[in-house]
Amino acid sequence: MINNDTKLWKSLKQYQRNENSIEKTHHEFQQGVTDDFDLKTLPNQSRRKFLAALGATSAILTTACSDYYDKGEIITYNKKPESITYGKANYYASTLNDGKGILVKTREGRPLKIDGNPEHPVFKGKIDAAAQSTIMDLYDPGRLRFPVKKSDSKLLLFQNELPRADWAKIDKEIVEKLNEAVSNGKEISLITGKVISPTQKKLFEEFASKFPTFKVYSLEQFNDNTRRKAWFDCYGTKELPSINWEKADTIVALESDFLGSEGNTAEQIRRYTLRRDVNNPDKFNRLFVIEADYSLTGAIADYRLKLHPSEQIDLLLSLLNEMINRHGFTLPAGVNIDLSKYNYGKFVKEHNFNQTAADDLIRDIATKRSKVLFYAGDTLPYEVHIVTNLINTVLNNNELFDYNNAENLYLDYTNYDEWRNLVNKMNAGQVGVLIHFDSNPVYLLPSDLNYKQAAEKVPTLISLLELPNESILNSRYIIPINHSLESWGDFSIRKGIISLQQPIIAPLHDTRQKEAILLNWMSNNVEQYSHDIYHKYLMNNWQNNIYPKLNQGFDFFNFWYSALHDGVVTFNEPINNNLSFNSTIVNNLKLKLDKSGITVKLKPAFYLQDGKQANNGWLQEIPHPITKVTWDNYAMLSPATAKKYDLKFAEDVTDQITDMIEININGRKVSLPIFIQPGMVDDFISIELGYGRSLVGEVGANVGTNANVLLSSKDGISDKIYTNAQITKTGKKFNLISTQEHHSLDDEFVKDIHIKRHIVQEYTLPFYTEFLQKYEHVKKELKQKYADDAVKYKEELKKEKEHLLGHHNYDIKSIYPLFEYTGVKWAMGIDLNKCIGCGACIASCNVENNIPVVGKDQVAKGREMQWMRVDTYFSGTPEEPVTSLMPMLCQHCDKAPCENVCPVVATTHSPDGLNQMTYNRCVGTRYCSNNCPYKVRRFNFFDFRNDFADGYYRKDTLELLNNPEVTVRSRGVMEKCTFCIQRIQEARQEAIKQNRTIRGEDVITACQEACPSSAITFGDMNDLNSDVSKIRENPLGYYVLETLNTRPNVTYISKVKNVNITTEVHSEHHH
Amino acid sequence: MSTTTDIVYEPSVIEGKPALAKVDADIIKPMNELPNKKFLIAISFTLTLLLIGAASLAYTFYRGVGVWGNNNPVGWAFDIVNFVFWVGIGHAGTLISAILFLFRQKWRTGIARFAEAMTIFAVMTAGLFPALHTGRPWLDGYLLPYPNQHSLWVNFTSPLLWDVFAVSTYFTVSLIFWYIGLVPDFATMRDKIVNNSVVNKIKKTIYSVLSLGWRFSNRHWSHYEMMYLVLAGFATPLVLSVHTIVSFDFAVSILPGWHTTIFPPYFVAGAVFSGFAMVQNALIIIRKVYDLEYIITLDTLEKMNKIIIVTGMMVGYAYAMEFFIAWYSGHDAELFAFINRAFGPYAWSYWIMVSCNVISPQFFWFKKLRRNIPFMFIIAVFVNVGMWFERFVITVTSLSRDFLPTSWDYYVPTIFDFGLLLGSFGFFFTLLLIFTRTMPVVSIAEVKAVAEGSQPAHHGLGHKEAH
Repeated sequence: MINNDTKLWKSLKQYQRNENSIEKTHHEFQQGVTDDFDLKTLPNQSRRKFLAALGATSAILTTACSDYYDKGEIITYNKKPESITYGKANYYASTLNDGKGILVKTREGRPLKIDGNPEHPVFKGKIDAAAQSTIMDLYDPGRLRFPVKKSDSKLLLFQNELPRADWAKIDKEIVEKLNEAVSNGKEISLITGKVISPTQKKLFEEFASKFPTFKVYSLEQFNDNTRRKAWFDCYGTKELPSINWEKADTIVALESDFLGSEGNTAEQIRRYTLRRDVNNPDKFNRLFVIEADYSLTGAIADYRLKLHPSEQIDLLLSLLNEMINRHGFTLPAGVNIDLSKYNYGKFVKEHNFNQTAADDLIRDIATKRSKVLFYAGDTLPYEVHIVTNLINTVLNNNELFDYNNAENLYLDYTNYDEWRNLVNKMNAGQVGVLIHFDSNPVYLLPSDLNYKQAAEKVPTLISLLELPNESILNSRYIIPINHSLESWGDFSIRKGIISLQQPIIAPLHDTRQKEAILLNWMSNNVEQYSHDIYHKYLMNNWQNNIYPKLNQGFDFFNFWYSALHDGVVTFNEPINNNLSFNSTIVNNLKLKLDKSGITVKLKPAFYLQDGKQANNGWLQEIPHPITKVTWDNYAMLSPATAKKYDLKFAEDVTDQITDMIEININGRKVSLPIFIQPGMVDDFISIELGYGRSLVGEVGANVGTNANVLLSSKDGISDKIYTNAQITKTGKKFNLISTQEHHSLDDEFVKDIHIKRHIVQEYTLPFYTEFLQKYEHVKKELKQKYADDAVKYKEELKKEKEHLLGHHNYDIKSIYPLFEYTGVKWAMGIDLNKCIGCGACIASCNVENNIPVVGKDQVAKGREMQWMRVDTYFSGTPEEPVTSLMPMLCQHCDKAPCENVCPVVATTHSPDGLNQMTYNRCVGTRYCSNNCPYKVRRFNFFDFRNDFADGYYRKDTLELLNNPEVTVRSRGVMEKCTFCIQRIQEARQEAIKQNRTIRGEDVITACQEACPSSAITFGDMNDLNSDVSKIRENPLGYYVLETLNTRPNVTYISKVKNVNITTEVHSEHHH
Repeated sequence: MSTTTDIVYEPSVIEGKPALAKVDADIIKPMNELPNKKFLIAISFTLTLLLIGAASLAYTFYRGVGVWGNNNPVGWAFDIVNFVFWVGIGHAGTLISAILFLFRQKWRTGIARFAEAMTIFAVMTAGLFPALHTGRPWLDGYLLPYPNQHSLWVNFTSPLLWDVFAVSTYFTVSLIFWYIGLVPDFATMRDKIVNNSVVNKIKKTIYSVLSLGWRFSNRHWSHYEMMYLVLAGFATPLVLSVHTIVSFDFAVSILPGWHTTIFPPYFVAGAVFSGFAMVQNALIIIRKVYDLEYIITLDTLEKMNKIIIVTGMMVGYAYAMEFFIAWYSGHDAELFAFINRAFGPYAWSYWIMVSCNVISPQFFWFKKLRRNIPFMFIIAVFVNVGMWFERFVITVTSLSRDFLPTSWDYYVPTIFDFGLLLGSFGFFFTLLLIFTRTMPVVSIAEVKAVAEGSQPAHHGLGHKEAH
């Protein structure tokens, strides 16, 4: 009803108080329609009564039928924050606790996706799969939600069983215990991870001045400690330079998986692949991998040579002998080792090295000289690192090391002697308070240290952690801490670079930042905790200690907020690079290493690393890039070793015939299923650690086997490599789950199918350069010949190209006219020269597109849901396999076989070239998947959000993980890669807003964004200047299964191997 | 140009010289008696199977098709195998009643009705599977072209949609054909029932309604015969088209092992092959249980066996030809698919198929074996097993190893897959058992028409010699 007194008006007439118009608006409809509607007065057969009844019935029916599960509540902002626009993402730069610089996408204040920070000079916008997946850890339902004080020693399995403690009360109690320890002269021991935060370092120092018996121990299971120690011993400095990977013409990686699981892989992949551009074949680098294990880096290598880790020294010394005596290199002054007994030629013969590879290695050294980098892996013995330093010094390859951006570390890693010392102190009752500062020593430390038994004797054990872990033991206080995305901090992984961490979201639970907890204990008023205590401390530290040194031109607050905005601060911290080699260290070196018996190498799990993220289902489920195994670790060994011990392995997934073995190293035993990997050194076993967590949360608990029990602080040629192991067949069988069938390389029936079917085509660099010359010549000729017929020119060029590449040219025609794409047409290019197979794209796609975790049992059935996968193909011999990797996703075929078979038109083609999936329309006949030659479609056999781990996805806080821009698919629906259509739509909206048409470069797909080597290109193929259309024109470009005439929109660039063989590596020979 | 001496008389299709009233009585007998113990045992067995199927289906609906063994490359397995198998079984009935009718094969009269009933029930069983194999069966309506507010239409390029039309048309026509044939028999039933009890009154009412006022008048017969002929002509192409179109589900795809032009005739031959075997299995029991050996004669069974051997060899030829074409095509993936069938991980199923379908019917070259009832029963069982495996081999082995070796996977059925397979047999045989007690399993009218003395004949003109 319109009140005549109102100040509101709807029209000018009304404004003028025209009584007539007011009356009219009052009765908007015809008289008698809007008012006096009383059902009782109407006759029975009245139309209105019928409609009313119909309306009421349908309203009841729809409400009764529609809401088949509770969709929850939507609470809108009472007052909308200024920075937030509904449906529009905000991005914030921050840093993860391990120092990775990130850019976090948020929607309505909720972090959704983590990518690398483009401003960060180390990461340049790229981070690895583990960091991508960290977003799931934030929302992990298993996170500890409140502090707990335990009075008995019952293990903490389900945190809700334990009573919530009062923060103020326990803080007060703890401070009493700390003071008590200090007054009794007992040590307060704190065990943390690596210390790379300047403010955290200061905090520890101040804590130590407040509590004088305080001591910090630094624990990382996988670290570069051996390299650091060797560097210090050789050059007398603790400043370990980082590597200029892109400057090396030849890289010789010794048992190092630097492109896979070792070191800062995202950076290493990016910098290594800068020299793998097919448009610049002259600039190609060459990678030699000399290893006993079969690593991803080995699989990527141009030349891979098999060598036992103990013999690396012999190889290096024989190379050195060759270099000194034949190629004019000189040893550093004072170095005095007898090289005469090391003969390279003899060594090559004895170890059955590929002669071409061996010749090229020494030739590269002789010709490239200071551009050759020798790089020893983290797990290798100290002695190998020393000799590697020596050979690098002899090569005088100083330019390959970046001394100004040295690997930073504020506190040395605690060595085994120091650990032993701590354990002794704990046993002797000299430790009053033990603080597990977000670390897990019980799980990570070698069992012969007996840390667990000692820790149980400490009167006050305090565990600060996000998820429960093995080190909780009988902790008196279990204190929940913030996730990286809820914390403040600063991290410096390299000298001269500090990245800042800012909270992206307020703590989801009743947790506190671990530094803030220490800070609070130091304060005089423990019970009055302020949530910004560490934030202030951090800012103060920067304002008083860091900022003045940076010589910034503007005031602190301007500096601070711009630094937070960028997420990173860089400055010059020049370091002496005039190093002299300490010859005595080499002269006294033990040059003969033990290789007797079976050798066991322990290495990080490819995605889980030391197992801290074991509760992350995404990381558990991304298949290992080489073995394709998910949700398990295993003992990897060579086919000959398996034969020797009569071990059987499920070649395909038909049955559970994988044998289990017991590995015994000096009485330390573990039982594991085997995995037969061609190309490994015989009598050598490699095992991934990080599995078999007993206490971590419901997803990660008891996944795989805890092989940490094999670790020892005493024996072993290095801290991760042990000789003299024994294996016995246990007689038990195991069902090892992988996403790909494994076929023996002896199996002629299935051998080399990927080559025969042109799925993978690889060439050698000499062949490619020769081809390129001929091709350019032919191109020029044809261009003249068909100057006015572009179509004919293209056809003829392709024919000539196939001829030059030695392929049969299939003249594929279609009886239907092709659809003409006049506007933007989306296409993708994947450069197999750059793809390492690291899996960052898979992780990114998982996060972006709400890909569910399905669990081990479903992967076993072949129902993994990842839209992006990296296919691994093996060829060659069981002794010297050749690995080919290929990212595979929906090819968005112009003539998509999936589309015409769908009976309900649920999958269709868009005018901009996308193969689309309409989830609402899909009834789930699965015909499209059957007819897809690339098998990239994924079917929801269940509602995986309910089905995985008893409705894990429906548990509180994990629901927040879903990207609101992408539909969460239900049971019975087919899905697949969409080329990130939500991003295309967003870009299109932006273009419309700017009154222009969408451009190809406006869209970056999730996989493309994540790819550390930028192997993935995306854009508009109709834009002839775009990168993607150039890739489509690249002579090495091809489509997978081209002969099927599906006309894919994903172009692959064939891999070119930098090997000295003029014939092509892979090609058919029937022309 | 024939002369009178060339006249050859068709041998009588029924044995002996039964009185027409005896024919009536013998055929109607099961419907006027309470079920005996044997029947009750049989139906409790089939109902148990049906219950197993229903329980499996209920669980499937509750959790999703993931309870089956289907996986990523193998999107179709038991679900579609069962569908194709049962559609195949449904081929014999209409073929016997329509095609053999058009070819004036009088020996069909003893078995036609029963075979037609099998067709109806087999197609009903088959029809369940496409409906329940979908991920979201509650949306199956999307498969029908109905006008809707979303302006959404079905995809006429999809063979699955052709299936919907082919199977439903076949079912409708077969049902009408069967019913038309039943009308005179319903009238006989109506007439034979004495209206002396409530039960009989109800029965009489039902049969009266079903017989559509049939009065055995000359006019009725003449319309009926014409109608029957027209329907037979109408049903004949459908017999060929249904399995042709079902085979398109495979042949139209690009999957090696599916993408072959031989599929339509090969599928039809296979369907007839399995359909006849199933008719054989059922009839051997029925004729014994209901004392109809003189109507469903050994001669008839032998003729069926001859069809089994012919279609079996056609199927065997198709198996061989597939291999030849795969090799002849020069396409690696194509050749691999077939070698993989015979020697890959699913070789066991391939050799079950070959031994059951190609080798076992060869025994029928021997007349003695062809006329040996227990033996032919066993061979028919083998053929059914073999034909089920044929569909398994085509569907599962082709899918499990297609173009990219990285996505190959092995399919292992679960108990729910087997539950639904058993359930389909339970459904089919329960319906069949109910049929034998509610409707005449042999066409009374047609049998009487071929009984000796029922047609005007010139007695003494070599008639005796015909025996």
